Amino acid sequence: MNWIWFHKLGSPKWFYQWSSKWALPVFSMGLLAMLVGVGWGLGFAPTDYQQGDTYRIIYLHVPAAVLAESCYLSLGVAGFVYLVWQMKMAPIFIKSMAPIGAAMAAIALLSGAIWGKPTWGTWWVWDARLTSVLVLFLLYMGIIALQNTLEDAALANQATAIVSVLGLINLPIIKYSVNWWNTLHQPASFSLTEKPAMPMEMWLPLLIAVIGFYCLVVGLVMWRMQSEILLRERRTQWVKEKVMNHGV
Amino acid sequence: MTYFSFFKAECLALFYTKQRVVNALLFFVMVVVLFPLGIDPSAEFLSPVAGGIIWCAAALSVVISVESMYKESYLDGTLTQLIVSGLSLPWLILIKVGVYWGAMMLPLLLLTPVFAQMLFLPSDSLFMLLATLLLGTPGLFLIGSIGAALTVSLRQGAMLMVLLILPFYFPIIIFSTAAIKAMQLGLPYGGLLALLGAISLLALVVSPVMTSLCIKASVR
Repeated sequence: MNWIWFHKLGSPKWFYQWSSKWALPVFSMGLLAMLVGVGWGLGFAPTDYQQGDTYRIIYLHVPAAVLAESCYLSLGVAGFVYLVWQMKMAPIFIKSMAPIGAAMAAIALLSGAIWGKPTWGTWWVWDARLTSVLVLFLLYMGIIALQNTLEDAALANQATAIVSVLGLINLPIIKYSVNWWNTLHQPASFSLTEKPAMPMEMWLPLLIAVIGFYCLVVGLVMWRMQSEILLRERRTQWVKEKVMNHGV
Repeated sequence: MTYFSFFKAECLALFYTKQRVVNALLFFVMVVVLFPLGIDPSAEFLSPVAGGIIWCAAALSVVISVESMYKESYLDGTLTQLIVSGLSLPWLILIKVGVYWGAMMLPLLLLTPVFAQMLFLPSDSLFMLLATLLLGTPGLFLIGSIGAALTVSLRQGAMLMVLLILPFYFPIIIFSTAAIKAMQLGLPYGGLLALLGAISLLALVVSPVMTSLCIKASVR
């Protein structure tokens, strides 16, 4: 298989041209899948025999929580790539992804709190899963803060890459917190490898919603990376030509 | 330069460095999170002490954010310009502190109900907590401003300033948490609130003059 197209993505110019073709289709597909999944889940999936209609918030909560973790994993990988190979695209990716991940973690926390009030009788408990996701949110905020505070670009790249890699330690803690400690938060309700514990009509819209969230985030991050590339490469010839010929 | 143009410039400068305010708020969040994780996350423990935790976190984040209030303008020379501008320095300082207070306290007051809920503060005490924050934090900022001006010319002034200023925060914290506790126990709390307001008013009168003396001593 020819991998040249993949290696080329390490160059900002190539990435820009490649991603301008893909961002809109991926984003629209994600939006469509999200609307279908969330709409199906909220409107048409069967009612839970125990929780009634309150359970339906999982169609927002689970995808957001999955994405919050996946986004951080991708940050960690990008940080590692930057520290080892000093690839130019990695810090651009980290800077574009961090606010999206923070938003996902915030959605997961908020929707969880809204679900917790009628079900557990409290907005918040300091249980292992909730606390570790709060820590994840704070890690994202720390990375954003670091990026905005450090004025030296090289130092900011290096520092955010290091923090991204360090924060990876939190991911297994989040993942296994529900198994290691006996907490209020139930164990994972969604998994691709095991047979789902819920009926197909509940599980399928959730799957579609998760896929939709993934595509949505990929499209968004491509757009954010494009503007970041334009900003960082503003002194190069191709950006100047592009701006001269097409505007921004 | 007029007082109004100074006000506008201060607002703009704060807007361009808004990450600093966000950092101070994140620090507030971190300190709040430390208590349930470090001591006891149960509602029986947190519920009675929630007001105190939020007050301690607020005081620490205020002292941290106030510390750098005059640093930048000292380094780039704007502080000298304030002295020679012909305007009254205490009034300029009052404007600056007011802008800082608004920029930091409005988001902090918005965050407080969320964290009060996470620390299981009884909801009838929430208004008391917000009232004490509104009454007490102007005092925190004004007193902190004196310390910030004192240590502005020092390179490692942060720790010294915290050591100098935190003792002056004790009475404000004591009266605030006492007012919250009194309300929870059903005791009269009006006197405590009045004392809190009195401290802030005293700081309002004294602090701008003291700060301007310190700034004039530091800038030579």
